[in-house]
Amino acid sequence: MSWFTDRHFFLLAVAFYGLSMLYSVFLWRKGFRRDEWVNYFLLAAGVALHTLAMIKRGLTLQSCPVNNLYEATTFLLWALGLACLIYSLLPRFKFLAAFTAPVLFTVGIFALMPSLDPPHGLKPDFSNWLRSLHAATILQSYGAFGLAAVAAAMFLMQQHDLKFHKLRALLSLLPSIQRLELITLRLTLVGFILFTVGLVTGSQLPRPAGDAYLSDPKVLWSALMWLVYLELIVARVFFGRSTRRFTIGVVLTFVFLLLTFGITNHFSSLHNQ
Amino acid sequence: MSVVVIGLSHRTSPVELRERFAFADEKIPGALAALRASGIASEATILSTCNRVEIYTATPLAPETAFAELKKFLVAHHAYDKTLGDEIYSFAEPHSLQHLFKVASGLDSMVIGETEIFGQLKSAYELALAHQHTGVRLNKAFQRAFNVAKHIRTATNIQRGSVSVMSAAVELAEKIFSSLAEHEVLVIGAGETSEKTARALQSRGVKKITVTNRSPERAAALAAELGGRAVPFENWPDEFERIDIAISSTAAPQHILDRAKLEPLMKRRKNRPLLLIDIAVPRDIDPAVNALDNVYLYNVDDLQSIADDYLNLRKEEVAHCEKIIAEKVAALFSATDLHR
Repeated sequence: MSWFTDRHFFLLAVAFYGLSMLYSVFLWRKGFRRDEWVNYFLLAAGVALHTLAMIKRGLTLQSCPVNNLYEATTFLLWALGLACLIYSLLPRFKFLAAFTAPVLFTVGIFALMPSLDPPHGLKPDFSNWLRSLHAATILQSYGAFGLAAVAAAMFLMQQHDLKFHKLRALLSLLPSIQRLELITLRLTLVGFILFTVGLVTGSQLPRPAGDAYLSDPKVLWSALMWLVYLELIVARVFFGRSTRRFTIGVVLTFVFLLLTFGITNHFSSLHNQ
Repeated sequence: MSVVVIGLSHRTSPVELRERFAFADEKIPGALAALRASGIASEATILSTCNRVEIYTATPLAPETAFAELKKFLVAHHAYDKTLGDEIYSFAEPHSLQHLFKVASGLDSMVIGETEIFGQLKSAYELALAHQHTGVRLNKAFQRAFNVAKHIRTATNIQRGSVSVMSAAVELAEKIFSSLAEHEVLVIGAGETSEKTARALQSRGVKKITVTNRSPERAAALAAELGGRAVPFENWPDEFERIDIAISSTAAPQHILDRAKLEPLMKRRKNRPLLLIDIAVPRDIDPAVNALDNVYLYNVDDLQSIADDYLNLRKEEVAHCEKIIAEKVAALFSATDLHR
């Protein structure tokens, strides 16, 4: 089975995410009325295969697999999938999987593009605990932001249905909108704390000769993302910004993060050593 | 020996006739004893509610003879001197058992899927059992009916959703707020429907209720009944900072709450979600307020539409329930054999 690489495992994982997404469309069409585990187990199978893919790659590299865009993206998706499986165990949060699956599938397809996974040259040295902490916390923060965006999307759908008096709002087995807003805020806060820790540890890492932090696109992009999330949290918690605007902000910011993450990573000399 | 049923219900007869044939609880044991003494039935149970009067019997007579005798008994017992036609229905096996299962499951009720009938049927059976008017056949039939009703309740959507305006309002509140125990309710106008809605919310955990009315005495009386407090009618906007659910049912000829009035109140509330239930006709609340962020406005038509949609969903489930009942009745006749 040596021909069966970690990428094959990841491909299978993405196939399960795809099945979960298809099943999610069915659940959406049925108005999220059936309280069942099928989608959860489809996603769980995907995450299990995804974990195997990451272990296999990690064992091959003998380090944490976050050395190129493919590995960083799969790590991000794995954190998102795992957090979704855990949160789905909360009462009335089983449908979180239905909202997460489309993100896992579409970004998973993107990650499978061969150009994102070139053969490794010099690998980052993760024996430095600060470097490991930097990589792990940043990627976990993306996972938390992703899940916050999923909860925010659930909120927006449910709020729209309640506003426009759609029966689906009552028939669906989704949590109350107040609970969805609370979960969105908490996950955003968790993501923000992890992101801050990641940025602080990153700033303490030895800088390669000739590279300036403030001219690196990834560093500037990260600072921008940090400021955007800070603004979202402060406006909501201290200035009473409406829940709708807050949740739209969380969704749009994560979409922007997903769309620009790869580009900034590609042009960052600090992250392509 | 077979199980037969004879009766009249909301489907076949008007309320005037149903009340004419109703059995008072205290008279049922005597009626059952008379029925058995007459030889028409060896086992019997009488179900008498506001929507139906039914006699279930295990009889040694042929079904057609039993129907005629039971009808005579019913007419004689209530000293009814007019002619009865289609108002009375009767079923022999297996339809008698199918009917019993449908009644227990709420499929034959005025509000499909309601659960009150289950308790009423159980009480009727227990009364007959306590006076030793049931035996092997009726015991088996009724116990199976209760099991089937429970199965239908869990396996289908027949009892899902709110089929009244009040319960629809409660369900909406539970879709907006995590826990009703943490939220306060303001009742504007102490009408009957607003009182019932407030009580329904109270039964689901709402702790604090504030009542306001143009007549302070009426407000104080309702507040006392609900265990809440009354506030002067002029001051109700001040309550908006604290409350999260408002039920309005005043007799005002124009809107008492519009967008211009609510906007500053929402700022004072720091944009917390607000559920407005307007059950007044003409409406108390300007529909334009629903466009405000975190405001959810439902008027009486919206709530009635939810209740109607739920009722339609229940009706769609009836075929599924009837299939289950047909299977259960067939199983009762084959594997366990009712007559053994």
